[in-house]
Amino acid sequence: MRKHYRKGAVAVYVTLAAVFLWWDMASAAEQKVAYRLKWLINMSTVGDILADSMGFFKQAGLAVELKAGGPERDAVRELELGYADFGVASADQVIQAAAKGAPVVVVAQLFQVNPLQWIYFKDKVHLASPADLKGKRIGVTFGKNDEIIMRTLLARAGIADDQVRLASVRLDYTPFYKRQVDLWPVYANTQGVEIGRKLSQAGEPVGFLNPGDCGVRFVANSVVTSERMIAEHPELVRRFVAALLQGWRAALDPANTETAIAHVQRHDPDTPRDILKAQLEATRPLIQPPAGAAVGWIDTPAWEQTEQIMLTHKQIPRPVNVTRRLRPVKE
Amino acid sequence: MLHRRIYQFLLIYALGLAGLLAIKYAVGLSDYVIPGATALWRTAGEVIGRYSGDVLDTLGVAVVGQVVSVLLALTIGILGRRTTWFGSFIKVAAYNVQAYPIVAIAPIIFILLGDGFLSRLLIAAMICYFPLLLAVVGIMSEPVPAVEHFYRQTGRMRWQLEVKIRAFENLSKLTTVIAGSATLAMAGTIVAEFIAAGAGIGYSIRIALYQSDLAKILVALFMIGITLSVYQGLLEWLGQVVKRVWAR
Repeated sequence: MRKHYRKGAVAVYVTLAAVFLWWDMASAAEQKVAYRLKWLINMSTVGDILADSMGFFKQAGLAVELKAGGPERDAVRELELGYADFGVASADQVIQAAAKGAPVVVVAQLFQVNPLQWIYFKDKVHLASPADLKGKRIGVTFGKNDEIIMRTLLARAGIADDQVRLASVRLDYTPFYKRQVDLWPVYANTQGVEIGRKLSQAGEPVGFLNPGDCGVRFVANSVVTSERMIAEHPELVRRFVAALLQGWRAALDPANTETAIAHVQRHDPDTPRDILKAQLEATRPLIQPPAGAAVGWIDTPAWEQTEQIMLTHKQIPRPVNVTRRLRPVKE
Repeated sequence: MLHRRIYQFLLIYALGLAGLLAIKYAVGLSDYVIPGATALWRTAGEVIGRYSGDVLDTLGVAVVGQVVSVLLALTIGILGRRTTWFGSFIKVAAYNVQAYPIVAIAPIIFILLGDGFLSRLLIAAMICYFPLLLAVVGIMSEPVPAVEHFYRQTGRMRWQLEVKIRAFENLSKLTTVIAGSATLAMAGTIVAEFIAAGAGIGYSIRIALYQSDLAKILVALFMIGITLSVYQGLLEWLGQVVKRVWAR
């Protein structure tokens, strides 16, 4: 009887050991990676979500921790402090960090068109050209990139500072709804869709001013990592970028519409499904690369223009030669 | 007292800054994460004039907010000093309302009152008011039997006299609480400005944060600290003057 117990105990130990060994090997096979997004998880991060939920990261042997961003989060800073391996940052963040010696590099550009645009009531504001901005009251977030973009737009249209009134943008949209401010900055693919729909349903059609249409190309969300990561783990960088861009390609594919909405809604349950669908449709053209280029293509001239704009507006003291920081990764 | 406040602040600031710089150079961080001494000096030169105006603007709102909250706390504290139903209701209300974080209420205030002076004043007063009220209620509810007994026995006790006796006996406590509440008023105003206002040093800190410019934030912190030290020192000096005058 005792012999049987002993044999049973040995069998249990061996099984447990085998299970733990398998578990350990399985988790060791997947390389852990921390990825800091720029903003909270919403439709602007659909490709990142799909890369994770459709298993592209796993297939690449990566266990990626998707960390939501926010106003107090800065991916570039976290890369340097070692809290993140990859992150999403806008061009102005990258250029400002480069000007201060941060070892940051860009490995892919997610948004080919900057989603930052200005919403306006069509019955109040008539914008045939940027020159029509003269005399308008325009909302900007002082200190953020929308202020720089608007100032550039105004300068190109030959409008002096005293010919418009710039109003500080706050948490709520009341000044815009009350029509105290003529143009209000929004992310066209997320807030723009939601607000635009509400106002259109209320019989107040809205329009969007896209600075890109007026020749101001200020690069938005891009994937960044550190110089050290590129130098020491080039294979990891390649695998990560390939899996991530696979997620973004999946987001562009109309066949994945329902999957994309379902996965984003898990993180953003307060946004109704029909709004999410409209947001996805608005996001796709912003990601779509030009003919002949792949998703994640880095638009070098747009980066150069962004640096030039920042230099003109004294956001950086001297040129940083940002093109040296652009390291497109071959999948 | 004033100079002690200032040098103590300078010492704390210098220690904090030295700690940050030690981390920067030990770990080899860029100026983007922690600015170096040169970058800090250069930034200070660029923004100190503007930030001085901003911090004085904030201080102005904080002082008015503090005066409002001191007057309000004294009024409510005097009313709530008695062991009546109303007195106990005031105390319970003060404890309960204090439980709501102002940052949660602040956006509602900004939506209703806009991003001007009034919102900043209200938030500063709210942050500073509740601790003051609790202290005043505590002081005013505590009888001074040795003195009050005589007036009660001779039938000369009136509520004004009772308040005077209790205030005089606890003058040190009161002046300390009022001087301490200056920090809360200043912090309240800065929080309000940071959340949504369009002026003051809190607003400048928010812009610096948007620009990921820690050097500007460090300069702003210096300006806030030095201004607050001077203001608190002046309040303490004022408290001593009042004590001397009243003791005569």
